[in-house]
Amino acid sequence: MKIKLTSVYVDDQDKALRFYTEVLGFAKKADFSQGPFRWLTVASPEEPNGTELQLALNNNPAATAYQQAMFQQSQPAAMFFTDDIKGDYERIKSLGAEFTMPPTDVTGSTIAMLNDTCGNLIQLTQLARW
Amino acid sequence: MTDREQYTPGAATGAQVRKGGENWTLILARELRHSPEKVWQALTDPAQLHEWAPFDADVSLGTAGSTVKLTTVGAPTPHVTETTVTRADAPKVLEYKWGGNDMRWELEALDGGTRLTLWTSINRRFIAMGAAGWHICLDVLDHLLSGTPLGRTVGPEAMKFLGFQRLHAEYDKQFGVDSPGRPK
Repeated sequence: MKIKLTSVYVDDQDKALRFYTEVLGFAKKADFSQGPFRWLTVASPEEPNGTELQLALNNNPAATAYQQAMFQQSQPAAMFFTDDIKGDYERIKSLGAEFTMPPTDVTGSTIAMLNDTCGNLIQLTQLARW
Repeated sequence: MTDREQYTPGAATGAQVRKGGENWTLILARELRHSPEKVWQALTDPAQLHEWAPFDADVSLGTAGSTVKLTTVGAPTPHVTETTVTRADAPKVLEYKWGGNDMRWELEALDGGTRLTLWTSINRRFIAMGAAGWHICLDVLDHLLSGTPLGRTVGPEAMKFLGFQRLHAEYDKQFGVDSPGRPK
């Protein structure tokens, strides 16, 4: 048993694909459709066969309610790990993304939080080196 | 029983597209050796839809004004959409939506059989994929009505199928599109 996939709900899959590839820098992995259903995933170019992130449409009331509640409580919908949070912060910010928290030292790590424009907060984490 | 392993979809024929905007219209026509009444049942009855269609319906699609939940079959995560049947003139015209996709079925009597035409709106990037999927579904429907069922072939299961990729490529070429998800 392996963890190969995790999901975030998004309000618009085309917009999400643009943000997660052009701004965050991930690469599209799977994109197929059956009727109204669209299976869309991205992966990290640093780990093309690593865990995929599904950009799932929030088109059911439970998904929308969950997404809004998480956002209002400033809870990230997903967390990505980086070895260079300052560099990623500058790069992503220069591409127009809005950070709700700049890189901030907390116990054992440095974290930052950004708005993915699709209804979510995303946390970037760099673990402190021991 | 016909063995599905022996089934090979025919060439990509009988389809047209109307281009314009993000959503194009796919028009897929097929002549069936079954009466319009029999085909109508297969298009509306949940038990029969379960044997060939890419979605399950919780109640019949055959009554105008009724609300029907459609569950996309084979989606990796549960996917249910609700529709209102906007037109149900048995056994001639049936209209509803599958998610955001308009669905219109026309049945014309033809020498004891039926000329069945599907009109459906599909995002242009997925229109060749949709054409290949519906092509196989209509083959499965035809076999079902002939009493030689192939078994429902939809979703990821259909895509693994060799004939699907070939059909997808052929429809890509016919429609002059390049689909993003198709393995080259």
